[in-house]
Amino acid sequence: MAQPRELRRRIKSVDNTRQITKTMEMVATSKLKRARDRVVAARPYAAALAEIIRDLHDPTLVERFPLLRRVDGNIRRAAVVGITSNRGLAGAFNANLIKETSARVRAFEREGAEVELHMIGKKGVGYFKYLGRTMATAHQDISDRPSMDDAIRVIDPLVRRFEAAELDAVDIVFAKFVSALSTPATSLRVLPVQVETADGTDGGGGTAPNYILRPSAEEIVGVVLPLYVRNTMYRCLVETAASEQGARRTAMKNATDNAGDMLDTLRRTYNRARQAQITQEISEIVGGAAALE
Amino acid sequence: MHVTVIAPEGAVFEGDADSVVAPAFDGEVGILPRHAPFMTLLGEGRLTVRQGQTGHAYRVKGGLLQVVRDNVRIVTEHAEAEE
Repeated sequence: MAQPRELRRRIKSVDNTRQITKTMEMVATSKLKRARDRVVAARPYAAALAEIIRDLHDPTLVERFPLLRRVDGNIRRAAVVGITSNRGLAGAFNANLIKETSARVRAFEREGAEVELHMIGKKGVGYFKYLGRTMATAHQDISDRPSMDDAIRVIDPLVRRFEAAELDAVDIVFAKFVSALSTPATSLRVLPVQVETADGTDGGGGTAPNYILRPSAEEIVGVVLPLYVRNTMYRCLVETAASEQGARRTAMKNATDNAGDMLDTLRRTYNRARQAQITQEISEIVGGAAALE
Repeated sequence: MHVTVIAPEGAVFEGDADSVVAPAFDGEVGILPRHAPFMTLLGEGRLTVRQGQTGHAYRVKGGLLQVVRDNVRIVTEHAEAEE
């Protein structure tokens, strides 16, 4: 059986770890709350843009707007934007995102496309650097409170190149914020813009009110589409930031619980060892006294 | 009529109003209740939402204004409250 002194040291060390993970859990919980508020606050804007595009959409627009252009046949050049976090200790959060990003890249490559990789977040950048994969861009300076400007910085160059027909498709891989406990890595086709029509098909909605449009439907769509793309990028960043905090909270809660279980076992072993030592000492004293008589 | 001013980071204003004056791309437009369905691009300038004696002013840049069934929506990337 282990020495009581040894056990005492381990108990102390596990207890310290538990305190740290517990604190990190609480930090993540409070950050999660604010990040979730930002996700919720971003929804009306996205919904408004989507509704306007839906109202103005008609199939003939596709030919006139480069952002809606869909290539016939195979995609030749594609970009994947992978979002990861800057910090670890969030369980399998970053591993899942990296796995999904790699899967997206491979799927494009199977179609025979040339894929460029744009990574966001230290974890993803570090991983692909380690693999020796070249990244077209690597953003490591986006905080856990992403702003619209961050989104614009990432997506605008891609939008311009898509318009110039240098890219045929752009996907974003991000952690969808379903709930604090469910943050699946998800990929989303951001370019060409996917228009959701009211009846689920690609035709005009038909339910749109008869708007007075100024200057014209075309010009409005021309302005709204880029806004929509930027906003999609922004939403992906915000959702991933919230998901990260959710994943970290779960991971740290598990770590705290495990440390607690470990402490229980260690304390029990320690007490048993201490008891055994006392028993032994007593029997030695009794034995010694008996020998003197 | 119901008015919402929406920016990417969240709704800036939401509530009922008697009138809205917005900087359209080619000059100011005024919206009163029961306006016909309308959509216009916005330029840069001052957006005023008036309800009775009180009013709110915002600096907006770009985006658009939509009126449908007495709901006015101003969707813009930049909207800052003005004194």
